[in-house]
Amino acid sequence: MKLAVLYSTMVLQMKKSFVRPMFRFCLLANPILNTILLYEMFRTAGEESFLAYVVLGAGLMGLWSCICFSSAGDINRERYSGTLALIFATPASFPLIILGKIIGNTLLSLLSLLISLVTAVLLFRVPLSIGSPLLFLAALAGTVTCFVVISSVIACLLTLSRKTELYMNCLEIPIILLCGFVFPVSILPPAVQALSRALSPTYAIELLRMSLYGVTDLRLFWEKFGIMLAITALYAILSGLLYRRIDRRVRIAATLEVA
Amino acid sequence: MEQVIEVQALRREYVRQTRLFRSGKKVVKAVDGISFSVARGEIFGLLGQNGAGKTTTIKMLTTLLAPSSGECRVLGYRSFGEEKKIRPRINFIFGGEMGVYRRLSARDNLHYFSNLYLLSRAEQAKRIDAILKLVDLADRADDLAETYSKGMIQRLQIARGLINNPEILFMDEPTVGLDPLGARMLRDIIRRLREEGRTVLLTTHYLAEAEELCDRMVIINRGKLVAGGTPAQIKGDCATLEDAYVRLIEEDKP
Repeated sequence: MKLAVLYSTMVLQMKKSFVRPMFRFCLLANPILNTILLYEMFRTAGEESFLAYVVLGAGLMGLWSCICFSSAGDINRERYSGTLALIFATPASFPLIILGKIIGNTLLSLLSLLISLVTAVLLFRVPLSIGSPLLFLAALAGTVTCFVVISSVIACLLTLSRKTELYMNCLEIPIILLCGFVFPVSILPPAVQALSRALSPTYAIELLRMSLYGVTDLRLFWEKFGIMLAITALYAILSGLLYRRIDRRVRIAATLEVA
Repeated sequence: MEQVIEVQALRREYVRQTRLFRSGKKVVKAVDGISFSVARGEIFGLLGQNGAGKTTTIKMLTTLLAPSSGECRVLGYRSFGEEKKIRPRINFIFGGEMGVYRRLSARDNLHYFSNLYLLSRAEQAKRIDAILKLVDLADRADDLAETYSKGMIQRLQIARGLINNPEILFMDEPTVGLDPLGARMLRDIIRRLREEGRTVLLTTHYLAEAEELCDRMVIINRGKLVAGGTPAQIKGDCATLEDAYVRLIEEDKP
């Protein structure tokens, strides 16, 4: 039964997201435009691996935008369409429903990585070479997990407030900058880097980049992988605790619906 | 007779911000100490003006809202704290065009909600077609809900509310915007639910409808209960329920 809830929510979410023009723009047009923009920026910057910064950067920016405007924004859409209260009051676990939505969105949003890659290959003849393909796949799986969990924390917090749109707009760019989507976090000021190191996507992106270049230090790769999983696990615990609290808070604060 | 809804001195307050900064807060008493009970198999009406506290009361009963104080029990369980025992056995329908996934078909909406109500595939297969037929949506079951008229969306809401075969169905102004045929169909469904021994708690502004359907009712005004009983008891010496209702509300003016 739980699998049916998770699966049907994933499918519903994919259908609902894909029919929204804004989501389609984030998913399809954004990666193309970002790839062009980043390519032009990196072309004369001496960076040789366009895959590591242009394709990955543009793809991840698209992925994150989709997550911000869909996983998070969907709470608000459900609230305004009167379905948030309905799904909340069913016997199915609310966190499971939210998880289904997030997994559905994240899987669909992975398309932005592919679009970015196709754009770079077709428009700029960027060579498609992955130094450590298997480790790249492992890093990609880790990235998806980390994005799913971080989205879950955000979605949970946004259930508590009606100012969802404001918060999701505030989240998009800072995460892109802090986690080094398009530049290494090492160029950030040390105080800001400390913040970056507390965010699991920072490690996910570094792992993807390492595997694209080709991993020369396996120990370092798995060390970073471990840190990413540990931080992700912390987020998951936080998310679980928040969902327990949220179940009571939303009914006290009356934020399930629009007043 | 078994009481399936028990409300005692129920209150719900909202804090509203009246100024830009936090200092300007006002406490609004949406429900102010009401008490009533509903027996199994009854059709019970909750009547009152807009803003009287009917919807807030329904939200507390349907586990969507926490009471500020007082007792609110459904099927013997507290609606805030024991909601997991209540949710599989009740359902609710809010009037208007909200509460359905418009980018899904009626059938997909019902499939999704039947998953959320943890129905088995066999139950889903049995119930969905029967319900679609009951609300007269079988012909358009596979069209997207966004192509439906207002009345059809409302019928889909009714179908969704029946998906888990609830023991208690809460209906908040279910006939708002329905055409006469749709409204009659809904009244027939409510009567059929009573014949099956189910309990219905409904709010409506159509007093003739309330008189026709309800076994008992209460009238709420400004969060307080101003009258309760059978339609005949509330009518008293007035010619119609509407006359009695208007008199009660007028008498309760501050």
